[in-house]
Amino acid sequence: MKKSRFWLLLALVAALAVVAASCGGDDDDEGEPAAEDTTAGDTGGAEAVDCTASIGIMGPFTGDVAAIGQEQLNWAKFAVDQFNEGRGTSFELVEGDTQLDPAQAATVAPQFVSNSDIVAVVGPAGSQEVEAVGSIYGNAGIAFISPSATATNLTEDFETFFRVVPTDADQGPTDATYMADELGAQNVLIIDDQTSYSTGLADSTTAALEEAGVTVSRESVSQDQTDFSALASGVADDTDVVFLPWQVAANAQLFGNQLAEQGKDAVIFGSDGLFSPDDFKIAGSYVSSFAPDITGLDDPAIQELVAAFEDEYGDFGTFGPPTYAATTVVMEAATAVCEGGEEPSRETILEQMGQTDLPESILGQPIRFTENGDIEDATFFIFQVAEDGSYELVQ
Amino acid sequence: MDFFVQQLVNGVTLGSVYALIALGYSMVYGILKLLNFAHGEVYMMGAFIGYFVLTALGGASSPVLPVAPLLVLMFLAGMLGAGLLGVVIERFAYRPLRNAPRIAPLISAIGVSFFLQASALLLFSAQFRTYDTPQLIPFSTGIEAGPLRISLVRMLVIGSAIVLMVALTLLVSRTRLGKAMRAVSYDREAAAMMGIDVDRVIVATFFIGSVLAGAAGVMVGLVFERVFHFMGFIAGLKGFTAAVIGGIGNIPGAMLGGLLIGLAEAFSASYISSTFQNLIVFGILIVIMLVRPSGLLGSPALTKV
Amino acid sequence: MPRIGTDEWVEQQELRTEYYTGLTAPARRAFDRVGPGPRFFAFLAICAAFPFLTDSPFLIRVGVNVLLFALLALGLNIVVGWAGLLDLGYIAFYGFGAYMYAWVSSSQFDVHLPTELAIPLVVTASALLGLLLGLPSWRLVGDYLAITTLFFAQIFVELALNLDRINLPWRDQPLDLTGGPNGIPGLDPMRILTIDFLQTRDYFFLLLVVFALVVVGLYYVNESRTGRGWRASREDPLAAELMTTPVNRLKLLAFAMGAAIAGLTGSIFAAVQTGVFPQNFEVTLLIMIYAALILGGAGSISGAVLGAVIVASVPEILRTPENARLLFYAALVAVLVATVRPWQRLAAVAAATVVFGVAVHELVSLAWPAGDEGASAGGSLGWLLDSWILVPAEHQDTIGNVGFVLMVAGLLALTVLGGDRRLVVLVPTIYLAAFVWENRLIAQPSVTRQLLFGALLVAMMTRRPHGLLGTPRVENPI
Repeated sequence: MKKSRFWLLLALVAALAVVAASCGGDDDDEGEPAAEDTTAGDTGGAEAVDCTASIGIMGPFTGDVAAIGQEQLNWAKFAVDQFNEGRGTSFELVEGDTQLDPAQAATVAPQFVSNSDIVAVVGPAGSQEVEAVGSIYGNAGIAFISPSATATNLTEDFETFFRVVPTDADQGPTDATYMADELGAQNVLIIDDQTSYSTGLADSTTAALEEAGVTVSRESVSQDQTDFSALASGVADDTDVVFLPWQVAANAQLFGNQLAEQGKDAVIFGSDGLFSPDDFKIAGSYVSSFAPDITGLDDPAIQELVAAFEDEYGDFGTFGPPTYAATTVVMEAATAVCEGGEEPSRETILEQMGQTDLPESILGQPIRFTENGDIEDATFFIFQVAEDGSYELVQ
Repeated sequence: MDFFVQQLVNGVTLGSVYALIALGYSMVYGILKLLNFAHGEVYMMGAFIGYFVLTALGGASSPVLPVAPLLVLMFLAGMLGAGLLGVVIERFAYRPLRNAPRIAPLISAIGVSFFLQASALLLFSAQFRTYDTPQLIPFSTGIEAGPLRISLVRMLVIGSAIVLMVALTLLVSRTRLGKAMRAVSYDREAAAMMGIDVDRVIVATFFIGSVLAGAAGVMVGLVFERVFHFMGFIAGLKGFTAAVIGGIGNIPGAMLGGLLIGLAEAFSASYISSTFQNLIVFGILIVIMLVRPSGLLGSPALTKV
Repeated sequence: MPRIGTDEWVEQQELRTEYYTGLTAPARRAFDRVGPGPRFFAFLAICAAFPFLTDSPFLIRVGVNVLLFALLALGLNIVVGWAGLLDLGYIAFYGFGAYMYAWVSSSQFDVHLPTELAIPLVVTASALLGLLLGLPSWRLVGDYLAITTLFFAQIFVELALNLDRINLPWRDQPLDLTGGPNGIPGLDPMRILTIDFLQTRDYFFLLLVVFALVVVGLYYVNESRTGRGWRASREDPLAAELMTTPVNRLKLLAFAMGAAIAGLTGSIFAAVQTGVFPQNFEVTLLIMIYAALILGGAGSISGAVLGAVIVASVPEILRTPENARLLFYAALVAVLVATVRPWQRLAAVAAATVVFGVAVHELVSLAWPAGDEGASAGGSLGWLLDSWILVPAEHQDTIGNVGFVLMVAGLLALTVLGGDRRLVVLVPTIYLAAFVWENRLIAQPSVTRQLLFGALLVAMMTRRPHGLLGTPRVENPI
């Protein structure tokens, strides 16, 4: 009697879990693996190159911001598959999970240094992680290129550091000018999410806004917060614009909904962390972005790439395409080394990466680096979210 | 005044979710003197099950069922799934440790919690899923009296939390099972000698506690929309806190504790500062603990000599 | 629940009569005859030799992590293991030590104290903070103390995150105390007497010296009147108080000593990392320290160290997919060898598994050709597994997910079934485990790492409820 009940229970659990599991897998699995029917968007048609190397990738692949890390990881995998497919190379990714903890990043970095196959590293994701690993990679002469660390001082402090995203110092003033001039904002509320990305950007925006004569008030809220309704209902009635330099677009979506629910009509202005047409679609809001078009709104080549990615991995936000770009930069450098008749090594790739010159990229703009390793000619673009949730370029 | 009532509603919504999670902690603790740290993950799984039921039935924008039966189905599936998960956890991670030192199940609970989190990451991916409730029940439906707005979703969440808590109270105070639970909680050995099947009571407790967590998961999905693999961690900590503040092992205490934390969060964020919201809440809670060392409704610990 | 009528002494009596049996018995008896002193020095010697055996910066860094964890577990052992106080605020002392070191050795306030001065300062300040935060233990017991101290831990992180813009009436500029989410980077390296600590390897030796001193110190404290007092007040505070043990003072002493060790460890950690960041001190790390202590056996010095070695090194081993894979199959074989007896039955299971795999492989290839056309993961075991494990070309993730859930159900069933039923479930479960591994887990090493670590915690705790080196003791019901 007791045994049979147990079996029943087990069968129930199994059945339930199977249902849940198959639901969960659906998004990722529809259709054929995409790599076969598309060529690499930016490099199609080149001669096959015999080139082998391992590339390390660091990011928060588990833990509370795994959504960001997994998006980066998937795009990096996607970039490697596409590149190998299109160019006949054989690059490999080695992943190192940091959970956004600098201490873990400082354990992963020596692991990558010890692994002599690894010639360059994509990541880490956070600015403090870059602080923690910068000298480790610097001493080993390994180039590392972050798809998301934006603290302004990093490229000055670390010689082998590159990044494909512009800094806080670039973004804050652009957003502030738009808020003050185009939106005519008088009172702006800035809410940071207590991360390094967010406070840095909030500070640079505050400075620029105050210079333009706008009254700025500042709040901050934890990224792990469940509920923003108390915060939303506390937004003063004379606030025109709420500036959200956040990383988690789903949080901003909830904040926007709750703002409406509490009867407030302030406009939301999001930083590039919120550029995520799948997750953030509060009509009438503004979002800035470091690229004119990372989700393929106009450019058919990017559209094709994005469709191929979504077939294989599902939705994404603002963190994936720069990772694709960063991974491509590394692979282009390695390929150039191979084409020059040398084995890709840490020194050769570091040197080659400094000379990167990609006329086209998934970011919709050329990629070249300044002497420090920052991206050249960083410009910011501003989008408005239309009624149906689509993004329209307004500046 | 309107602002105050608005915050009250915001706080009660959040508080009733915390209270439901806290109840599971408290019930299990009352019977086994065990902190079930995997409880937050049960809640997370409940939220995911609700999400998949919603998606399977067409999603929020084009549901194949009318809203009411859809919600009922989501709640039932989420609660049942979470309940079964709770029973499985008890059977495999806690029962072998029934007579172990009190701290040992804590680590096995943490192991279960890691395992479930990673499983969710593996099975459901890391993406934020959203219930997209405004598509299903627009926020504009509900009470609107001047500046005061109470959306239907909030009323629904608060209402179902009240129903569940009343049902639980009745179950514990009026049924044979409830009597058995109280007996086991009072003295497990003596209850066993009186012919109560202790194992069965423990399984039932885990089931009921996890059912409540599953319901809380679906509610959070409805009112706060986002569902992801890590949501159970913070919620679990909050639920644990609420249970202890109320007096752990005490069922009305857990409800009170949950509400108190929800209200404290809402009021400190809106009246004082959202930056120091958590600091203020923790400060209040420390003072409460120092004034009432056994929680608000807990009885002072009896020391057997 | 203790068996009725059995007390601690009787249980130990049973242990004595069992003693050691089997092949390893002479070795274990010999190990017991070597006293704790020589054993400890042998361990230290092995540790000291470690950096000379490898030049991999990764292994050295893991060594540093192990020692940091060991020190933290030892400090926690005083409070939790000996004094029996559930202190969830422990991580705050670690963080406080690190930040304190950062304040006196960086450009944050432009204070650069010599290390010989900075460390005593940090340790004293941490101990004082420990005294202060230990005060609630006079009033609160058990889980109520736990939650209150947990608030301290969370408050610490909140403060670290938010004390970067303090407006003070007598200052024009807001005061930046902690750097907020950016933390405080660019700390001075340590310099003790004339020795500069520049590389991770240098810090390894520093940590080893500190570790040796702490272990020796704790050993004697534990043997002393204070140690006995702690244990007495842990077992029964009321009785201990009546026997004139100063229970409250001992509680504070435990808190202060634990905090001092945590603060010291924190300062070294800050110097190793050359910076402090709020993300370093989150509740997840606290959980890992607890896991180390309890896994090893609360109340035992060697247990705390062993637990730290496991908790700090196993996740690092699992980082490399190839290692994780080997470990996975090795564990599978080890569990089979240990649980299936006699050997004839084991051989039958092994044969059945191979046959089962080949049969499934052939059947699926016939019925659904795409079922085995995916690219396998290769690696050193690839050739062995190729004709045995299915690798579907389509819907690999979905099939893998379903397989994962079924595998978990199968594994759980194995722990409760007996006799023939067990064997019936065993064969497909082994196959399923290998299938899930090759199809799903190998592509997600970071997630798999967490999965396996969680499973390991559950498995070890349910096998050894008292921890690996802990001694069973009878607990007072609360």
